[in-house]
Amino acid sequence: MKKSNIVLLVLIAVAIGVIVTVAGDFSTYETFATARQKEGKEFQVIGTLDTTKTMVYDAAKDANLFTFYVKDKSGDVCKVIYFGTKPTDFEKAESVVLTGKMIKDGEFHCGKILMKCPSKYKNDQVAVGNKV
Amino acid sequence: MVATASYWVSVRTGDEVKRNSWRLQGRWAFIIQAASVFAVFGCLYFALYNHYFEYKYVWRNSSRDLPVSLLLSSFWSDQEGSFMLWSIWQSILGLVLIRTTKRWEAPVMTMISFAQVCLSSMLIGIFILDYKVGSNPFLLLRHAAENQGLPWVNSPNYLNFIKDGNGLNLSLQNYWMVIHPPVLFLGFASTVVPFAFAFAGLWTREYKEWIKPALPWALFSAAALGLGIMMGAAWAYESLTFGGYWAWDPVENASLVPWLTLVAGIHTLLAFKSSGHALKATFFFFFITFILILYSTFLTRSGVLGDTSVHSFTDLGMSGQLTFFLFAFIPAFGMLIARRKEIPTVHKEESTYSREFWLFIGSLILMIAAIQITFTTSIPVWNKLINNLGIKKLLNLTNDIAPPSDGVFHYNKIQIWVAIVIGILSAIVQFLKYKDTPRGEFTRKLMIPTALALIATVLSGWLGKVNYDTYGAGFLMAIYLMMFASYYAIIANLAYIWIGQKGKLKAAGASVAHIGFGMVLLGIVITSSKKETISIDRMKMLDGGFFGANSKENPRENLMLPRNFPVQMGDYHVTYAGDSLPAGESKTYYLVRYERKDPTSGKTLEAFTLHPDAFLSNKGEQTLTPNPDSKHYWNKDIFTYITAVPLKEDDSDTATYQPHVVAQGDSIFFSNGYMVMEGLDPQPANRNYQAEPNDLAVGATLKVYTKNNDQYNLKPIYLIRDSSYEYNIPDTVAPLSLYVRFSKILPKDKKVELEVKESTVFRDYIVMKAFIFPFINVLWIGVIVTVIGFIMSMFQRLRQNKEKPAVKKPLTKERAV
Repeated sequence: MKKSNIVLLVLIAVAIGVIVTVAGDFSTYETFATARQKEGKEFQVIGTLDTTKTMVYDAAKDANLFTFYVKDKSGDVCKVIYFGTKPTDFEKAESVVLTGKMIKDGEFHCGKILMKCPSKYKNDQVAVGNKV
Repeated sequence: MVATASYWVSVRTGDEVKRNSWRLQGRWAFIIQAASVFAVFGCLYFALYNHYFEYKYVWRNSSRDLPVSLLLSSFWSDQEGSFMLWSIWQSILGLVLIRTTKRWEAPVMTMISFAQVCLSSMLIGIFILDYKVGSNPFLLLRHAAENQGLPWVNSPNYLNFIKDGNGLNLSLQNYWMVIHPPVLFLGFASTVVPFAFAFAGLWTREYKEWIKPALPWALFSAAALGLGIMMGAAWAYESLTFGGYWAWDPVENASLVPWLTLVAGIHTLLAFKSSGHALKATFFFFFITFILILYSTFLTRSGVLGDTSVHSFTDLGMSGQLTFFLFAFIPAFGMLIARRKEIPTVHKEESTYSREFWLFIGSLILMIAAIQITFTTSIPVWNKLINNLGIKKLLNLTNDIAPPSDGVFHYNKIQIWVAIVIGILSAIVQFLKYKDTPRGEFTRKLMIPTALALIATVLSGWLGKVNYDTYGAGFLMAIYLMMFASYYAIIANLAYIWIGQKGKLKAAGASVAHIGFGMVLLGIVITSSKKETISIDRMKMLDGGFFGANSKENPRENLMLPRNFPVQMGDYHVTYAGDSLPAGESKTYYLVRYERKDPTSGKTLEAFTLHPDAFLSNKGEQTLTPNPDSKHYWNKDIFTYITAVPLKEDDSDTATYQPHVVAQGDSIFFSNGYMVMEGLDPQPANRNYQAEPNDLAVGATLKVYTKNNDQYNLKPIYLIRDSSYEYNIPDTVAPLSLYVRFSKILPKDKKVELEVKESTVFRDYIVMKAFIFPFINVLWIGVIVTVIGFIMSMFQRLRQNKEKPAVKKPLTKERAV
């Protein structure tokens, strides 16, 4: 066997190894119910903003605290706490992707919000997040 | 103008057949099409310049108040315009190729013309069998699909209703957006040239000869694409607010991957040129580069990235066409496979001590990097495939795959190893000779650079206190290795210019590019591992925040700054000193004053003001689109941007005055501290009080102590004017929203009554984030050096090609990139 073939095999093995590790990082979009079952584990939840409940951001009290309510795909409404400022145009978001985890008292703490904003011509997206 | 567009569509079908007359005809056809493209470009720019809002493209992407300097930015802010930009570059490249390629003109230009056909089909916007092909930038607003049937469409003077355009997306209103897309699209367009050469070589069965003219083009393409990508990074750093220059966003990845494969291709090409090995790999890399460019176009423009990317285009209903465009070029691979037997290969095995062997390994590693990035970036595509092919049902999956939740680390933990290996390889491979290298000489020459790189790593790790432990010791280890690899690449290549090339700078393009690349790696590793957030909100930390369980998920990176109220941030005292709205601009600028003081003497060591700004309204609605501002030092940047400002709508102030009866020396507590009544002043002075002859005025001298150890003086005044009218003049501490009123004198008890109000709504503040990026200049300089290196070696190759036009055998004194 030629040396280059051996090298090629080794590299292919490395490549496969890399892809397997990488695929291990992939997650799926979940609901609050799943997140509640595994408290403290990080999930990504897609949902819409529940506009019937109030959202609170008061920089004078805490500049890193924004609370709001989100209804997930199964219709489950959950209180969400985001440790950051209120994102621009948040009220207008058509849907939001929250990355975070459920904690004991049934609040969803998220560190990253990805919003999808409808605008007449562009579905501009805005991502905000804390790099933890 | 629509006629121009369709005319140009019919013209550029001029296909070149090898006969001379045909070639001539093709040549003229291409020249005419190029002229048409320029004309179309001119027309669209003219329409934008004169605000012809009857064109939908103009209406959608510009407005009257847009400065002329940003008009170009709105030109390529949308799909049609950017395709046109691509098409222009391709035309220019085509014209240059017609002049320079000589013998290769016909087959190469066939490919370029075909690519041009595909590109311009994106712009025709006609319906073929009910399928919309392309999207015409000159579509009239009244013809646009979404406006059909609206009442104003049929009114002949409808233009009177359209006074102004929709305006350019706020985040694109930046000078980087004027220059970054042209460079990036030049890079995109130029990747077709190595592709065309490789294809031409395969097609005409001249498997080796295409290499020489293709090399300078490949170098040029790598320089342009690399510069374009990094200009995008600079734009992100200068004007976006994800707090950095690179976020592994799918759009960024999609253009990085072809660059990696292109660089891999350049290296295998060099290996082939001098040793005869790795020709097939070269074909493969140049083919895959262009295909990946098309794939990245597909990703960013088909709307498929919708859920994962921050800045992709949305679907114009052209995803089918984009897919077609993508697959149209894949048969090149078919040809490569079909003719694989004919491609000359060397059957002798490479020595482990030969340069070509390691060039090949390096290329494969770049390939692995490319595969990993593509694999993760393509998650939305996987979802589409899984859904459409029924695999989802087959495997009983219910949810779509989501990208990794810690995306940045996901890429970093793989790519850091790639960077390490590539860094080390680019340091040592130049010292290897083609075919074989004497062992002793190799180790002897490398000894000093290795030692120097080790010393540099240890020194900067020790002095720079690199101890980034968020992801554990293993990752910190990798950071040190990467630091070593980058120093190694810089130092070894510097050494190679002297040892290997005896200081001949003219021939050192490759080494220069490698030094630049090493600097880029070094800049990345330092800025990423030593990036420091200084705007930590420490006020709320004691109640379980900082040391509590959620300190990791709540990094408290936003800091509220009341106006004129200094807050400590890292080494600095930072004050928000107000905002300003310059005439003629739609941005609000915030004045953020930084001061650094000597902790012992209290002397101000340095003071500067940053002006982060923000668009506060977008089409009449309250939003916040901030742009950061940075203080640049030679060794670091202080990066500041606004994350929230109070909304201007008026809430009523519900707070009321609370009375306190105090004597001299008594204190009154309020939420942020307390105040002491120090005494009464029979001749008070207050900026709101003008003394009059018959006044009987008394002021209360108050000293206010806050929780932050700040002190303020207050002097509310009580007076009796004209012996009958009671007045009082309140005093305030604006940053605390504290109001104090002197309401009564109680002479019997030797006491006074003071009324205190703390306003709950408090409107004058900003919330901001600030980071320190150390040594970010190493990164930017590295980029520039790399590009210079690429261009140097491009000219060097061009010179060689001119000097020895007919040399067939590999050059003996070959220098590698």
